[in-house]
Amino acid sequence: MGTKRDWEGQPLELHPKDTIMAEAESAPSILSIFENFRDELDEHHDRRERIIKKSRDITALSKKIIFALQRVRATNQPIPPKIAQENQTRFDQIQALFEAVVPEQLGINGWRYQRQISPGIQEFIEAISFDHYLRTETLITHAECSARVPPQILISEEDYLLGLFDLTGEMMRFAVLSLSSGNTTATQVTKNTTNESEKSPVAASQGGIVVDLRAMRAGFEALSVPQRHYMFRDMAKKLDVMQNSVEKVERAAYGIVVRGSERPSGWTPDLSGAMEVASY
Amino acid sequence: MIDQRIFENLQAKIDEESTVRDELNEIVRTLARRGRSTQAILSRAHSTPADQLKPVLDDVTKEILAQKEEIARLKAVADQHPFYKYNGLWTRELQNLVASIELCAWLGGLQEHKGPSSTSFMTIDDVGKFLDIPVNLKEQDAFHLTIEDYLLALIAMVEELARLAVNSVTLGDYTRPMQIGIFVKEVFAGFQLLNLKNDILRKRSDGIKYSVKKVEDVVYDLSLRNLIPKGGSSA
Repeated sequence: MGTKRDWEGQPLELHPKDTIMAEAESAPSILSIFENFRDELDEHHDRRERIIKKSRDITALSKKIIFALQRVRATNQPIPPKIAQENQTRFDQIQALFEAVVPEQLGINGWRYQRQISPGIQEFIEAISFDHYLRTETLITHAECSARVPPQILISEEDYLLGLFDLTGEMMRFAVLSLSSGNTTATQVTKNTTNESEKSPVAASQGGIVVDLRAMRAGFEALSVPQRHYMFRDMAKKLDVMQNSVEKVERAAYGIVVRGSERPSGWTPDLSGAMEVASY
Repeated sequence: MIDQRIFENLQAKIDEESTVRDELNEIVRTLARRGRSTQAILSRAHSTPADQLKPVLDDVTKEILAQKEEIARLKAVADQHPFYKYNGLWTRELQNLVASIELCAWLGGLQEHKGPSSTSFMTIDDVGKFLDIPVNLKEQDAFHLTIEDYLLALIAMVEELARLAVNSVTLGDYTRPMQIGIFVKEVFAGFQLLNLKNDILRKRSDGIKYSVKKVEDVVYDLSLRNLIPKGGSSA
């Protein structure tokens, strides 16, 4: 290897560090320009990471709320006080986290960091919509979701929709769990249902869930999202999981109807068609 | 009870957004078409000696000005919507345009738009002023040129210059590789100041060192053979 030479042919000693230093002297402006860029980019990355952290915390708390709600056994009535109390502290914590995100998401930054906060928001919507469904047997609306967070926090239609998709998974788990937990719930709820379902061995509340899940499935499937739409990729996957959930509940209900009378206590519906459960 | 109106409302929102997207996409497509013709003309620089470059630059300037009009159209529509919701639609084309502007300016075009700064390229403010758009907005939600887009455009320009260094030699121009070498190293030093995270900017800026090496190799070959005109470096 020869030595590097300058243009006159004199040997040249070049260390990369030296060249940078030399440049720094000859053109201070370019470095000051990039220093400015560095500060701007650092600020952006820091803010981005702070939001991601908050989003993860919101996700974790929402998951705990959902777990607690899965211990509820009856729909269309207030959540049992113990669980409600437990969840209220978590909702308060989530509220505080959202409040802390507000200054990071002002104005133009709302959409800039939307992708970072969005997982937390989706999980939160899953939690509040599940809570809402258990209490009222209806779907929470987009406006009601927005009312649960500080007004500066943006809840996009996309997050709302994807949160509802996840709700179907929770409803599935809830329905299957309560089907297997015996008749106590059934007797409680049959009084306010029609004669027809009173005869059905499927507990009315679970029967209601099957009907609601079907209605949601129909609603989801009827949505037409253009191919190039950003929602599209996530949606195809979630649509699949949702369809599986609905079928699972339908099969479980079928199992109760066919084999219900022979069912020993402690029997759980046969779900041997082993399908993936939404794991988020 | 599931209220089907919830789904109807969602559908209405999705449709509304698709309309906005279609409208923006239509403008971006025009911008992209004009961008390709700008780049086609600009690539003639690789086969044109420096002293005959003027007509090429004039043609490029015409195309760039045509693209500038599309940017104005885009701005008018985009300003009505959240910037970061839709900026993915046009960021590529905007970067290409800025790269063309930078290259054209470096080659000696668009001189009247260069700011008084001592840099050999157009700063982000120069570009913003030329295109008549704001830059690096942090609070106001409006169409603008982001730092990321600008930096990515600079990288694209550096890559193009590395190619030009090789082609200049083929054209018998031994001075230009020196100038390119100085400039590319300047930009490289600038990028080394940035703390980049694992994102697109990091990935693309990693490529600059290869561009620097490419140019250095040319300079090395020329100096080894004593082909560099005396005092050529100061030009």
